[in-house]
Amino acid sequence: MAKIKKKGQSGQAKNYITRTQAVKKLQISLPDFRKLCIWKGIYPREPRSRKKVSKSATASTTFYYTKDIQYLQHEPLLQKFREQKVLEKKISRALGRGDVSDAARLERNAGRPDQTGKPRYTLHHVIRERYPTFIDAIRDLDDCLSMLFLFANLPSTTSVPAKMIARCERLCHEFQHYLITSHSLRKSFLSIKGIYYQANIQGEDVLWLVPYKFNQRVVGDIDFRIMGTFVEFYMTLLGFVNYRLYSSIGLKYPPKFDQTKDDKGAELAALTLEGVNLATNDETTKAIASGEGHGPDPKVQAGVDKLVKKLRTESDGDKADEEMAEGEDEEEKATDAIDKFEPAAPGGDVLPQPTYTGNDPSKLFANCTFFLSRETPRQSLEFILRAFGCKRIGWDPILGEGSFTTDESDPSITHQIVDRPIIQAATTEQGDGEDNQTAQKLGPNQRYPGRIYVQPQWVWDCVNDEELKGPELYAPGAALPPHLSPFVKPTQGQYDPTVPLEEQETEGEALDAEIEDAKDEAESEEEDSEVDNDMDVADDNDDDEEDSDAEEDEEEEDDEEEDEDEEEVLLRQRELEAEISGKTVKSKQVDPKLKAKLDKKKALERKKKEEAEDLERAKGMLSKKKRKLFEQMQYTNKKKSTEDMKLRSKRRKLEKEKAAGKA
Amino acid sequence: MPVLKAPAGNTDAPSQYKQPSRKGKKAWRKNVDVTDVTKGLDELNTQIIQGGVIADKDSADLFVLDVEGDASITKKFPKIKKGLKSDEILAARSAVPAVSMRKRPAHDKTTDGVLPVKRQRKEYVSGKELSRLKKVADGQHNSMIDIVDAAFDPWAEEPQPEPEKAVELAFLPQKGKPKKPKTLEQLSISLSANGKPIPAIYVPKGGASYNPDFTEYRERLIEESEKAVEAEKKRLAELEAERIKLEAAARSAAEAEAAEARADLSEWEDDSAWEGFESAGEELSIKAKRPRRKTQAERNRIKRRKEEERRLKHEAAMKAKNAQAERIKQITLEVAEKERQLALEKAEFSDADEVGDDEKLRRKQFGRYRLPEKDLELVLPDELQDSLRLLKPEGNLLKDRYRSMLVRGKMEARRKIPFKRLAKTKITEKWTYKDFQLPA
Repeated sequence: MAKIKKKGQSGQAKNYITRTQAVKKLQISLPDFRKLCIWKGIYPREPRSRKKVSKSATASTTFYYTKDIQYLQHEPLLQKFREQKVLEKKISRALGRGDVSDAARLERNAGRPDQTGKPRYTLHHVIRERYPTFIDAIRDLDDCLSMLFLFANLPSTTSVPAKMIARCERLCHEFQHYLITSHSLRKSFLSIKGIYYQANIQGEDVLWLVPYKFNQRVVGDIDFRIMGTFVEFYMTLLGFVNYRLYSSIGLKYPPKFDQTKDDKGAELAALTLEGVNLATNDETTKAIASGEGHGPDPKVQAGVDKLVKKLRTESDGDKADEEMAEGEDEEEKATDAIDKFEPAAPGGDVLPQPTYTGNDPSKLFANCTFFLSRETPRQSLEFILRAFGCKRIGWDPILGEGSFTTDESDPSITHQIVDRPIIQAATTEQGDGEDNQTAQKLGPNQRYPGRIYVQPQWVWDCVNDEELKGPELYAPGAALPPHLSPFVKPTQGQYDPTVPLEEQETEGEALDAEIEDAKDEAESEEEDSEVDNDMDVADDNDDDEEDSDAEEDEEEEDDEEEDEDEEEVLLRQRELEAEISGKTVKSKQVDPKLKAKLDKKKALERKKKEEAEDLERAKGMLSKKKRKLFEQMQYTNKKKSTEDMKLRSKRRKLEKEKAAGKA
Repeated sequence: MPVLKAPAGNTDAPSQYKQPSRKGKKAWRKNVDVTDVTKGLDELNTQIIQGGVIADKDSADLFVLDVEGDASITKKFPKIKKGLKSDEILAARSAVPAVSMRKRPAHDKTTDGVLPVKRQRKEYVSGKELSRLKKVADGQHNSMIDIVDAAFDPWAEEPQPEPEKAVELAFLPQKGKPKKPKTLEQLSISLSANGKPIPAIYVPKGGASYNPDFTEYRERLIEESEKAVEAEKKRLAELEAERIKLEAAARSAAEAEAAEARADLSEWEDDSAWEGFESAGEELSIKAKRPRRKTQAERNRIKRRKEEERRLKHEAAMKAKNAQAERIKQITLEVAEKERQLALEKAEFSDADEVGDDEKLRRKQFGRYRLPEKDLELVLPDELQDSLRLLKPEGNLLKDRYRSMLVRGKMEARRKIPFKRLAKTKITEKWTYKDFQLPA
């Protein structure tokens, strides 16, 4: 007989521990326990059966793994928590006795461990423990960055001290500087919540959200103690990540921080990057400042130069964007050396393509000089423009220190970003009348010649499409094109408004459209040849065909023979109608091109049917459960694809109308 | 006015009744009888007051050797006339000079011209600081850990330091590092309904753009508005249910009241019955059944009836059983169908997204409090602007981050408790009046 097991000595009862038990075991207070758990990455767990773990547990009892808590007992930070507890006791005893000065002294001494010989406590060891490799740390950077950028933008209160905010801000700026020098920012998106950024750091995509400035309402139902604990941990983490990133590109960490500049609102410019070697210090800083340290690809540079030149000439307003497109095409031809991975089978997955297009993203704005008007969001614009190669950014002095120029009339400015409406009333009168008073300033609607005026969205759209977009769509006062999310991956066969129709329609759809076109043409010819022919015949044909098309769409099980039968029926009907109306039968009105297309379509359908049959056979091999699953999947896919097809056909119609309008 | 008396009883220090010996265990330390010591001290005090300790004095000061008589002595010391005790007490003068009541001694009025250095109050603690200290004592400290600039790379390959150990201590077992449990590496439990891990930041959909594409925006708007309509419907249904419940309660209360009133009205009738007045027509005719033996025929009839009953019962049971057996088949079919449906739904969910949904949460959550609802993040159509300057940001990022932490299962939900629960105080009268006695 097996040994009788005692209850509560093994299994779930041993593996889990309640929160209260854990707190008692570690001999710390509950808030301290919470802190420790957050730092060490110990999360609440869910036992399979609460009853087996503990009989007295209620629904709200939280459980932890016993092993985790056991491991916590080796934590050096625990000592600090206990010391703190002792200190608290000492202080409260002194206060109880009325020895206020004693209490103050105790507290003061605890605050300077270096002088009292007590050890300092940091979270350094925790970082290494939780993220064994650097890549692990980068994978968790999403949360870290979102949190720190958020706290950098909070107003300071008693629960969020100003010191913490300043530190968050500095760490964020350091990180931004790394992104700027390494050109690893990839995408950005203006959402209603804030601005999303995506960077690629050592092959990992990092996505984070930055709030808009001056917009944080601090609501009451948030536990700032817990948030503060997270922020403390993340500050340490980002510090190390920054250190590693800076040293990977040969920079000294921490970069030099200028307090006076920061007080004047310089933000990014308050930090100066330095090379690691003191001897080569000046060179590297210069190199970073001028951006030549990374050795630009001459070919790419030439391409970008050409493009920018074109853009400049375009600003005069006489060039259309066709030419630019041509230029791009040429460029692509010239540099199109990268392989394209295409799916082997038509239904296969879309493979991730190498993202090397004609323009290097790091040189996107390299030859531009920007000026930001005072109503634009300077912080985000500055960061994005710098990250995409812009070196000279000026802004209104009201937006803070650190600009390339504060003079709006600087002749070197090529682009100006404005976001104010065009004032309609009485602009010309005023502009003339007050000339002597405001000789320096421009009138409300006046522009400096020779520079491009765009709205802020232009920058984001350029960055996301990795090309300089035509500025005329983004002119001040113009109705902007929609700002699409760059993160939404188009699935195969999905309707994508940004891609031309030819690239995304399926073969069958294209054929259908062509047949339609050919028929239309034939009809028009017919009409030309026989003006007095009554239209009923053609209309009837059309209707019938549409019907049959629709049927084909709905049920793909129509047989080929049936199709042919149908056609014969149609033919016969036509003959009958012709007899009635007293005309000769035009059996040869289907021209060979149309016929070839029809044949092609038939072949396609046959192929489709064969595939479907194959699929049906394969489905027979599956288990019942899996088959049902598969059917469901097919159903949803079909629903989606029909929706997409509708959208595409709508667009086709619109395009056709447009073409007709032009012709 | 009542005359106050000194508190009754002994004013001495509490003591054991008798301590003939201090050797016993009972007499250790506690309530040692010190009366003889205090008595001695009192005596010493009186001696000092009267002009010095007698034991210390020279015998010449105390005694005079009178060798010849003095005739005038009787005049010098008149016959002692006993006066009043109070006069005697008042007349008594202490040999010890009184303590000066002056703040500054009289001789301090002249100075040497050097002003004393004003002592700085180093130990002064301001009120603000004091309140902070109180908070610290209460466990509310800001930060215990130092956050310093990173000065090394924690992920760099560090050289393993060779454990140096004296040869003579080699037999001691090496103290190894505590091993990290495997459970520590498990992901936190996602609170989404489909159980998939929830990302820290959701990849934004096109509808969240400040200047969205129309179709995407419409989709989102419809989705959100449907949700809002659902919520409102639910709320209204709850209100209605509440109302109906209240109405029913009111109705039943009214009925009960009415019944009571009726009972009150008809009270005298019942009373009359109670008291024994009854009208003549109400005389009951009771037919008493006479006890007698059952005949055989009766017995047989009863037996037959019982048999019949048993048979019918059995038949009914069999019928029910058969019906249930039939039903089982049906139920199994139904269950299979339902399971299939569920599996399909699940499959559809799992197919649609690899990430968890943070709006549809699972029923079981951590902690006592429910998770906060997600804010509605939608710019209404009339507020939709295509200019970045005019954008009114939606949602609260702070709340969003906090909720994200909770939803990802990093910690249990907490609620702010604005006021700490204070200890209940009970006011009572002090019984000090028992310390006095009123004279009879």
